[in-house]
Amino acid sequence: MSRRSPFRSVPAPGPRLRPVTNTQTITCTSCKHRSVTQRWEEQLRVCGNCGHHGAVGAALRCTQLADGGSLAMQQFDDIGERDFLKFNDGIPYTKRLAAARDKTGLDEAFAIARASINGMPAVLACMDFGFLGGSLGSAAGELFVRGCELAVAEQRAMVAVCSSGGARMQEGIVSLAQMARCSSGVSMVSAARLPYVSVLADPCFGGVTASFAVQADVILAEPRARIGFAGGRVIEQATYDKLPDGFQTSEFLLEHGMIDAVVERGRLRTTLATMLSALMSSRDAS
Amino acid sequence: MTSTGTTDRETAAFAAVELARNPGRPRTLQVIASAFTEWTEMRGDRLFGDDRAVVGGPARLGDRWVMVIGQEKGTDAATRAEHNFGMPHPEGYRKAQRLMRVAEKFALPVVCLVDTPAAHAGVGAEERGQAWAIAESLRTMLELRTPVVSVVLSEGGSGGALALALADRVLALENAVYCVAPPETVAAILYRDAQQKGRAAAAQKPWVSTAADAGIVDELIPEPEPGAHAHAAIVIAALRGALVRNLDALCALPVDELLAARMRRYRSAGD
Repeated sequence: MSRRSPFRSVPAPGPRLRPVTNTQTITCTSCKHRSVTQRWEEQLRVCGNCGHHGAVGAALRCTQLADGGSLAMQQFDDIGERDFLKFNDGIPYTKRLAAARDKTGLDEAFAIARASINGMPAVLACMDFGFLGGSLGSAAGELFVRGCELAVAEQRAMVAVCSSGGARMQEGIVSLAQMARCSSGVSMVSAARLPYVSVLADPCFGGVTASFAVQADVILAEPRARIGFAGGRVIEQATYDKLPDGFQTSEFLLEHGMIDAVVERGRLRTTLATMLSALMSSRDAS
Repeated sequence: MTSTGTTDRETAAFAAVELARNPGRPRTLQVIASAFTEWTEMRGDRLFGDDRAVVGGPARLGDRWVMVIGQEKGTDAATRAEHNFGMPHPEGYRKAQRLMRVAEKFALPVVCLVDTPAAHAGVGAEERGQAWAIAESLRTMLELRTPVVSVVLSEGGSGGALALALADRVLALENAVYCVAPPETVAAILYRDAQQKGRAAAAQKPWVSTAADAGIVDELIPEPEPGAHAHAAIVIAALRGALVRNLDALCALPVDELLAARMRRYRSAGD
């Protein structure tokens, strides 16, 4: 895997608003409201008009959650891609991977980092939907488990931010097995009595939701994120069921008892820190 | 190869999928009735309902009592509807978990019979946490302190199959398929056209020999030509022999050793 910095084009968000130095604007994909891009970044990519939470890549997510100066992105040089099927759907899978790396500056759909969150020691495992739809292949599965092993070795909490279309179809049955592999990582963290908190971000579906994304002690979700197992379009086509209003949104899942809280991005860091403080409090005492 | 034309390779690939879907292949209830004795069904998840896509209960395999749990597709229009074509709802997975916990408590090994195109995709399934149920099954099977053997009978599709196939030993009938998603779904996702299912099948190689090459399936149970649909008794007898042999080996191991080996296996799954 390459050793490029994942931070290439990521501006650091600041809690205080700085004078606007660039008047470039960005249009909200939800309400079409135009914001100054710099302000929008400072507000963690949340639309000031409608509250729409814009997409956040894995590296930026890590910087948004970590205490300043605490972030150490983890590079694992021995994680090879596995093109088990020699998959080629017109463009070879290996070329698609190379293009995804160029586009995101990441090696895979996961970025793993060591960080503290309001002082709480954690390992961050953040998914990047921009990397082949955040799909779960063998290298991504291995990265998540490496993150879990790091958490156990250093007695840190595990925090995953999940955003994915599900299994990586180009890896066939091997991608299905990653659900089991990632579950083994969660098991290790759980056996070590370390907290695991999962944050579901738009969108999160398929084999990712049906494994590590919801195996956490505490599950948070960003507002109006679309989360589920089967996609709404698949359900309509398969069953002719009419989808209820707000179906498969964070708020819908909260109502159905599937998640603990819907948390706005601006409150995510402090919510995580408070929850980790509670769950790790007996460790400090002993 | 054009995107719309169908090559011989694609036709052959999809023919293999159709062979696995042959309605005459041995079904879970048929295997239970033929290979096991004294099966006593346990029903319900104690939370919502009883999902008939999953059946289970204690049964004897020779001298040994086991907990057998399987997905049942049904054999005619009425039973297919009753069993929802083997596509479980969350309550099916939760029933399976409940039975596994009972098996663990009373030191019965677990035998899972996998036969599903996929977990059910529907409004109710989503409302009741399909993903949550499957994820919980994976954790349950990973940590269950009793031997688990799974067999892919005809079709093992998606996380809906894996939720009964995370085992110490995974067997499969030779002509079964085991895949991340059915070729129709893969085609819809990758090519945005479910009609290109032959192309998806050729690319995905969903037959169980692929899973065996990847170390995900341990043992293939041979089927005489033209397949298990024509030789159910022979194939079920071979399956029974393989189950007894594997359970003999697994039950001889200390349970801590068994769990450590299971954890190691799935820690590096797919490598």
